[in-house]
Amino acid sequence: MIRALLAASLLLAAVAWSLDTARADEAKTASAPEDLPDDPARPLVQGKCTLCHTADYITQQRLTEPAWQRTVDKMRKFGTPATDEEAKAMVAYLARNFPADLPPPRSPRAPLPPGSVSRK
Amino acid sequence: MILDRREFLKTSLSGAAALACWVEIPALARAKGKDELIRRTERPLNYESVRSTFTTRITPVERFYLRNHFDIPQVDVAKWRLQIRGLVEKPLSLSLADLRRMPQATVEAVLQCAGNGRGLFTPRVPGVQWRYGAMGNAEWKGVRLKDILQRAGPKQDAAFVQVQGAERPVMDTTPQFIRAIPLRKAVHPDTLLALEMNGKPLAPNRGLPLRLVVPGWVGDDWMRHLVDIEVRADEPKAFYYDPAYRFPVSPGAPGAAIPADQMKPMTKVNVKSLIGSLEDGQRLRAGTQRIVGVAFSGEAGIDRVELSFDSGKTWTKAALEGPNTPYGFRVFRHAWKAEPGSHEIACRATDTAGLTQPEVPVWNPGGYLHNAIERLRVEVQS
Ligand code: HEC
Repeated sequence: MIRALLAASLLLAAVAWSLDTARADEAKTASAPEDLPDDPARPLVQGKCTLCHTADYITQQRLTEPAWQRTVDKMRKFGTPATDEEAKAMVAYLARNFPADLPPPRSPRAPLPPGSVSRK
Repeated sequence: MILDRREFLKTSLSGAAALACWVEIPALARAKGKDELIRRTERPLNYESVRSTFTTRITPVERFYLRNHFDIPQVDVAKWRLQIRGLVEKPLSLSLADLRRMPQATVEAVLQCAGNGRGLFTPRVPGVQWRYGAMGNAEWKGVRLKDILQRAGPKQDAAFVQVQGAERPVMDTTPQFIRAIPLRKAVHPDTLLALEMNGKPLAPNRGLPLRLVVPGWVGDDWMRHLVDIEVRADEPKAFYYDPAYRFPVSPGAPGAAIPADQMKPMTKVNVKSLIGSLEDGQRLRAGTQRIVGVAFSGEAGIDRVELSFDSGKTWTKAALEGPNTPYGFRVFRHAWKAEPGSHEIACRATDTAGLTQPEVPVWNPGGYLHNAIERLRVEVQS
């Protein structure tokens, strides 16, 4: 009986481990659509546009160039530190990588973050 | 390749999963994915409920969406105070104990982000790309805002109640999140300062310790971590009140800009329904399929929910469950005899005020109040 239980718990531990690795693999691929694509202007956008929110706020959008222009203008008013030159490069990057006609990305599934349910 | 491996794991592990019924192993519980949401943004926390959430009248907190502009504030409940100031005879500063000592009221109401469904608009609109799940129905318990306003005594020219919570933007250059509701809605007996959601104190991400509940109105007004109430004669000049969170007075052409003077603050949410028991693209077996979903409207009950299985040519009434509440979800059910083939299923709600969901949504620059009839396709196999 004890041996059976031991075997069962070993099996369960292995299961838990392998599922965790599978999930980690999946997380790596699934998080790809949330990453900013490689491009000469990527470091600029990564540096300026992830100060207040994660890049997923950006990568889920599909917008025309004028709409990206309005968004970057708005973010500069919100406090994005960027020169006019840098803003221009960022608008071009965003319009190039997230145009209106690109199919929308699949957002990942995730457990609720801590602090969302009260235990009391 | 990863998929194959996951499939392999799934099938070979059914025995282990059976064992795990009595030993809850975190990795397995997570693998079931029951309580997972759709993560729209990681920071700030914007998480959307999955479709299968919408088969019950009350939405469990574990599956309830999260919408944030900024990071969640750290609130020291012992030191927390609520200020009531502005056009009042007697400004107040209340502690949590003060609020708990006042008469408590309960209201069941849907909390829905005004931007729920933004991701469904064409042309596309910037903002969190919510599809169906930025909504939920809960039982809220707390103090009536009217009782607090009465204690403070609004002056003659009071007309608006401005609210702000403890959260602040990452940079001072970003506008603070400030909203306002008309005094007439603030003194409605169902408008609450809630301390509890579904029978438990508000969790940090749900607005600890206190949130405004404005039944029937868009979620933007339901201020969390509430710390400041200002009674005013006029509307606030704050970004998140003007120009943000506004809706066209009359619809414009999709994609066209609308002049600022043709935009007004949003109030009520509109009539809406959603099938929770099916996914778009799902494969089903022929035979009886039990369809379940929810319907609601801003300040009205639900008169009927109709389903169509033939691309909207004919409609059948679904059975409505439970009492008609003015602000909550109403569950609908229908036993559908699914025949082999590809079917488009649509559901359409009509509220007790006679308003019906439209065929096409009213396009607007903010991507707000999407309530068009929802359609999904299922493939029925013989
Ligand atoms: C100073 C902080 C800050 C920086 C820096 C910043 N953002 Fe934002 N951004 C915000 C806030 C706050 C919101 C959320 C607005 C809301 O929820 O109403 C937001 C929202 C967005 C959205 C959603 C659409 C919208 O208009 O709300 C997009 C897209 C976006 N940001 C893109 C960017 C890009 C691109 C950059 C870099 C050029 C950037 N952000 C830099 C603060 C910032």
